[in-house]
Amino acid sequence: MIYACVPLVEQTLSPHPPLISISGISQGFELLFGVQDFLSLSQKNDTELNTKLNQLPDLLLQACPFGTLLDANLQNSLDSINFASVTHSQKQPAWKVGTYKGKPQVSISITEKVKSMQYDKQDIADTWQVVGTVTCKCDLEGIMPNVTISLSLPTNGSPLQDILVHPCVTSLDSAILTSSSIDAMDDSAFSGPYKFPLTPPLESFNLCYYTSQVPVPPILGFYQMKEEEIQVKITVNLKLHESVKNNFEFCEAHIPFYNRGPITHVEYKVSFGQLEVFREKSSLVWIIGQKFPKSMEINLSGTVTFGAKSHEKQSFDEICIGGTAYLKLHFRILDYTLTGCYADQHSVQVFASGKPKISTHRKLISSDYYIWNSKAPAPVTYGSLLLSESLCLLSESGKVRNKITSRPMRPSGNSR
Amino acid sequence: MGPLSRETWAQRLAAFRASPSAFMAGPEGEDLGRDLLSELRSDKLSEQTKVSLLALSLEYPAQLWPDATAAEAAATSLLDTLVLLPPRPSALRRPLLLAATTALVAGDALGPTSEASRRLLPLLLGLASGRDLGRGFGPASEQRPLQATACECLRELESCKPGLLGGCLGLLRGLLGQEGPVQPLSLLLALALRNTLVIQARARARAGLQGLLMAGDTPSGGDPWNWALAEEGDARLQPQAPSWPAAEEECGLAVLEPTPEEARELRAAVAQLLDTSYLLTPVAQAQLLWLLGWALRGLRGQTPVLFKPQLVRLLGTAQLTLLHAVLALKAAFGEALFTAQDEALLLRRLTVAAQHPALPLPAHLFHLHCLLSFPENWPLGPTGEEAAPLLLGPRLCRGLLPSLLHDPMALLARLHLLCLLCAEDEEKEEKGQDWSPRHYLEELLAGLRQRAALDGGPRASATLCFQASYLVVQCLATQPTVLTPLTHGLARLYRARPVLAPHFVDLLDRVGPELGEPLRVALRQEVVSRPGRDEALRWHLQILAEVADGNAQSATLGFLGAAAAHCTDWGLQQALLRVCRALLRAGVGGGLADLLQALARQWEDPDGRDHARLYYILLAHLAGPKLGVALGPSPAAPALASSLVAENQGFAAVLMVQEAPAPIRLSVGPHRAAGPGPVLQLHVEVLEPAYSLELRFRVEGQVYAPLGAVHVPCLCPGRPCRPLLLPLQPRRPAPTRLDVRALYTTPTGLTCHAHLPPLPVNFADLFLPFPQAPEGDKLGFFEELWDSCLPKGAESRLWCPLGPQGLEALVSRHLEPFVVVAQPPTSYHIAIRLPPDSRLLLRLEAAQEDGVPVALRTDDWAVLPLAGDYLRGLSAAV
Repeated sequence: MIYACVPLVEQTLSPHPPLISISGISQGFELLFGVQDFLSLSQKNDTELNTKLNQLPDLLLQACPFGTLLDANLQNSLDSINFASVTHSQKQPAWKVGTYKGKPQVSISITEKVKSMQYDKQDIADTWQVVGTVTCKCDLEGIMPNVTISLSLPTNGSPLQDILVHPCVTSLDSAILTSSSIDAMDDSAFSGPYKFPLTPPLESFNLCYYTSQVPVPPILGFYQMKEEEIQVKITVNLKLHESVKNNFEFCEAHIPFYNRGPITHVEYKVSFGQLEVFREKSSLVWIIGQKFPKSMEINLSGTVTFGAKSHEKQSFDEICIGGTAYLKLHFRILDYTLTGCYADQHSVQVFASGKPKISTHRKLISSDYYIWNSKAPAPVTYGSLLLSESLCLLSESGKVRNKITSRPMRPSGNSR
Repeated sequence: MGPLSRETWAQRLAAFRASPSAFMAGPEGEDLGRDLLSELRSDKLSEQTKVSLLALSLEYPAQLWPDATAAEAAATSLLDTLVLLPPRPSALRRPLLLAATTALVAGDALGPTSEASRRLLPLLLGLASGRDLGRGFGPASEQRPLQATACECLRELESCKPGLLGGCLGLLRGLLGQEGPVQPLSLLLALALRNTLVIQARARARAGLQGLLMAGDTPSGGDPWNWALAEEGDARLQPQAPSWPAAEEECGLAVLEPTPEEARELRAAVAQLLDTSYLLTPVAQAQLLWLLGWALRGLRGQTPVLFKPQLVRLLGTAQLTLLHAVLALKAAFGEALFTAQDEALLLRRLTVAAQHPALPLPAHLFHLHCLLSFPENWPLGPTGEEAAPLLLGPRLCRGLLPSLLHDPMALLARLHLLCLLCAEDEEKEEKGQDWSPRHYLEELLAGLRQRAALDGGPRASATLCFQASYLVVQCLATQPTVLTPLTHGLARLYRARPVLAPHFVDLLDRVGPELGEPLRVALRQEVVSRPGRDEALRWHLQILAEVADGNAQSATLGFLGAAAAHCTDWGLQQALLRVCRALLRAGVGGGLADLLQALARQWEDPDGRDHARLYYILLAHLAGPKLGVALGPSPAAPALASSLVAENQGFAAVLMVQEAPAPIRLSVGPHRAAGPGPVLQLHVEVLEPAYSLELRFRVEGQVYAPLGAVHVPCLCPGRPCRPLLLPLQPRRPAPTRLDVRALYTTPTGLTCHAHLPPLPVNFADLFLPFPQAPEGDKLGFFEELWDSCLPKGAESRLWCPLGPQGLEALVSRHLEPFVVVAQPPTSYHIAIRLPPDSRLLLRLEAAQEDGVPVALRTDDWAVLPLAGDYLRGLSAAV
């Protein structure tokens, strides 16, 4: 399915006007994002998708009569068709259809995703980054209830940066606006509390997105893989940082082997957890479980033997050629954020009738958490090269260091 | 057609939607619009079906009601349907309003004389004002949405007739201040305000702006809509979809000089709109800011500071359209609204948005584009040129640099930025700084090539590598420090993976000489330095056909000689011959002749052998320029994919006749009434030299005998040519047209064929005088002719109107050679011979001031109407 949007441009097209000078470009973007959101939202099966597809023409008529976009939120347009009988009163925001009736409650959840690229090499810095999303649902009576939500950090928390807020936020502190990952971090960085005065819409919305540069990655590790004819020798070491909450919902290390045949034989030793072998998919999954052991450090070593490669079954990976390989960590920790960011009940001010019930949630999820084979070249981003003297994209050197904590480290984006 | 069921309608609509124009051209097309209107009032159809009918009329008004009359009738019918709706909630009212508006606007029926317009406008304005319009207009619960829809309809009317609502500004302000729906009213007011300002600036008239803005909610003095203002604005005043204009004069509001009171009132109106703008959806907020920003730009007494309170709120959002609107304000007001610090902040927010992990890739790409076209306060380069903004220093850019892990689109967009940084950094190079964009660029390209070189790798990675190389050449063509390693890298890539040859040929065809020249040399070396025997031979030959020229002849010929033995199949032989052809064209001589002779002996395939021999003969017998023509691409024939055809194109061009647009102009000169038969005098002009011109004529309707061709040895532009004489042999005395074709040779040696516009032969072109009458008795001679016409022929009398110059001038101009008896200025007897054997006799007697009665006789009745037309046309021709 392809949706396209063609903006009206009433001027000569030669020479091409820059896209930036045409208002219809961003309007078209928003419409397509809106269609995408509408179709993907709570879409469970084909029937539901078909229902939504059938609704689209009517919705577009509602959302852009005469071709001018009035609201990119198509769910709102759908609701406004259904809410037609509700009497609106003055100063009703156009993005809010109807009003809420019922018990007042406010729910705030903070989800942080941590990504990382770890190389275990002297000349390439490891990188990691936290991306946070704060999602809110405010069920409050009245047309325009005013709410202020504050996000706070503990004393040793990592400042939030690159904050992008929802349009319903009515004003912003300039410190929030200027705090950005482009700058070098220092002690003067604004560390909250981050106050967001807002008039909430009816639906659940993303109050803000942020990034942050935490001082250390939650799990630091190395992965060494050496090819020996039809088999490879692997060694993995993972260490959970002491400051991180050692209580996972799950924690797994996925070790895929690309551009090889199916696994025929595995000999291994794990200091902790279990190893599952997916022969046809040529991959191993190390199930670490809910907790790291007291030492916080775990190891896996073994030898994997492969059968003949069959071209049909296995897709080609253009990065993992030869020794270039990675392991990817998947984990989730509930009621925890890496930055320390939290919103407690007292930090929420609601200027509306009735005292609302306030609930808050936090979680940390891994996302693109890679540990590259340190015995072979690995793809790097510019940020990883800043400490190294030689700039090369696929570093040939791979000298292993015994003390992994002494590796060059750098949260991505923070560059000097 | 009777009432249709829901299913029938569904089928009909599906058929229409599948191909509206085909449906409308079909048997049912004519009735569709009419049926649709009548079905809207039928009780049988559900509201849902009716809504879908209305939706169709909104999408295809021009097909359903193609002209103003039909549109007017449709709008009237829709309004009637609206009025007749029972006073209970109905889903039809809003779409009916939209449909009536659309019909009027799309059918171009909107205007002061249109009855439907006169009904619709007060209705819309009444609904928009929230006035009680009586029970026909639905229950109270529907008033609010109807009010919003009425505003949308009015906005559409205002955009199509800018200035129409110029008289309603005060009313709209009042509504916005009270209880009206904020978004539709804000957008309507902003548009009407913008249009009024622009029209007043254009007309250099100040029709009491203050009055317009202040007028209460009951507009005084008749209709609130302003057709006169709309008339002024109608000359397409400004694009209705806002964009920031490239040319300065597009936004010249500076001529408008509002009085201090007017300026204050205008400020108040704008502030009112901005203050409530947070109640609008983000997309509507953006539209409002675009409209107001460009309406107020340069207007005296209006400081852009009004916008300032909105900026922090807008800059903080993740909304693409709001950030874009801020950029529009930046472009409109520049330093007046954004200090250098503000500019820096805006750039930082853009930079953040261009890489924020929470935003989707398309948003990243758009923001990157915004960075490259950033409207700076003080741009350094020429306007319109893409360049990294001055304040976007290396530090800000770090996160925006491309890496191999990026998606291809993101990689290319970021690479563009990196190239611009390299271009800027040219002077600072070679200082051993740790941050060298050029060095990073080199490494990135090397990485891309490494990926493209992977055996069995996906095509996409090869494509990406060449796209990136092309982009780098486009941006950094003047930097040898970048191009040299790029050239070497590409040559190495070819060595690693010759199967990429088509990509290389494509790249060479597209890049300029900066990379093209060195890359050709490098690739040629790469190819000829390797013995040609492996599987890559066909790729090597393909590359060589592209890069072979007069240089490194012996190496190239050596390679070809060695390769010839391995060219065992037809395809490889043709590939090798293509290289020979390239060498022939480059003027390579001796060694090539030996090679071609060897090929002609050695190969078994007759086609390859014949081609080799043909090339050898051409090489041995044709001089350089002629060889170039023989092998050069034909101007007329489109490029063909088949190698065989491509091979032969050059020869074919020389040997075949080419169809060409005529560079020859042919016209008929003055009539020569002499000799035994009529002769057409032709004048020829050419736009470019033509040799051995042959003109061929064909008579339409075969009224003359076939005509012979006319030959001209040589024609040059600007050099006059003697008139060409074309004798005609009529079979009947009748005018006709001659179909003309030209065959000629161009200076480049091609033979061309052209079809020229037809030449008219007029009735008068056939006139011949009678042989001289006996000197003494001219009148008797005439009378004899006159009498001989009857009874076989015909006689007629008609009135020949005369121009101001009178009869004498008319005769001397047109009929002089045919006069037998003359008694100037009032009486002439004229005898005309019409080949093959007809005669036409005229008596012009007793001329009066404005005309002369003509008696005419002819022995051929078919001539009579022609003669009548001719005589009546004479006075006009004087």
